[in-house]
Amino acid sequence: MSSGCRQVTGNINSFNVLNSSNVVNLITEADAEGRQILQWLSPLEPQQRHQGVRIDRLDGVGNWLLKPPSSEIGGIKKMVALSQYCSVTGIQGWGKHISGRKASCLEKGNADIIDD
Amino acid sequence: MGLYCDFLAQQEQSTAGMLGAILKQLVNRRGIPEYIRRAFQKAKKEFGGRGLRLPDLVEILKKTITSLQRVFICIDALDESVPKHRRGLLESLLEIVQLSSNARIFLTGRPYIGDEIAKFFSKAIRIPVNPIQDDIKSYLDMRLDGDTDPDAMDDELRADIMRVILAKISEM
Repeated sequence: MSSGCRQVTGNINSFNVLNSSNVVNLITEADAEGRQILQWLSPLEPQQRHQGVRIDRLDGVGNWLLKPPSSEIGGIKKMVALSQYCSVTGIQGWGKHISGRKASCLEKGNADIIDD
Repeated sequence: MGLYCDFLAQQEQSTAGMLGAILKQLVNRRGIPEYIRRAFQKAKKEFGGRGLRLPDLVEILKKTITSLQRVFICIDALDESVPKHRRGLLESLLEIVQLSSNARIFLTGRPYIGDEIAKFFSKAIRIPVNPIQDDIKSYLDMRLDGDTDPDAMDDELRADIMRVILAKISEM
């Protein structure tokens, strides 16, 4: 691993940041053909973008999304339970990006661990 | 699974490219299924490695999602995608989730995109986001704490910056 390079291990279930810099490399455990297949499926690398968003995020910002369902706009857990689809709309800089990141963490199966 | 749309990457963000990125995350975490390996080998042998056609990609996505317990698909900044690709994406997502009760879709975008989403997902819950004063204050504190020229700052100026920006935002 070169110095000054943030390297991410895509070891199946996590993308662990090993050290810091502005470059993110994704290393997968896939075999050579597996890596070709991943590239064949899409040239996009959303996992890397996710790391960038995660690092830029200020802790605590966007927590309203997880507030109890009784709050005005909170209650993502209830939302997920109620509907198969949900959209968040707002002008630039108002937290859509953060809410998207938080929602993406729901795949871990526990919204309470979102501030990882 | 997350996908971030970006004005600067519109060329790569075709409908197939975006759906492929979702599939890529699904299989990268759990191992590449044999049916995807076979499709790849066939494409390599018969079509010079051409990418999956959209209908084939949608079928593979359906098959992969169905094999999982629950899948969350989060697409951020949908408004930054190319309209024709966005339409294809929404159509495909609708087709996928109609047959996959274990799938959940979470989309974000600027307000005008809401009506476009509603054309495909008429029953979607829609959450309009308004500025949260506490979030903005925390963010401003962080930026001011990181000021590279702290000698130019004093308590009065800091308080003015906070007051003016918070007031402007509350008027939006």
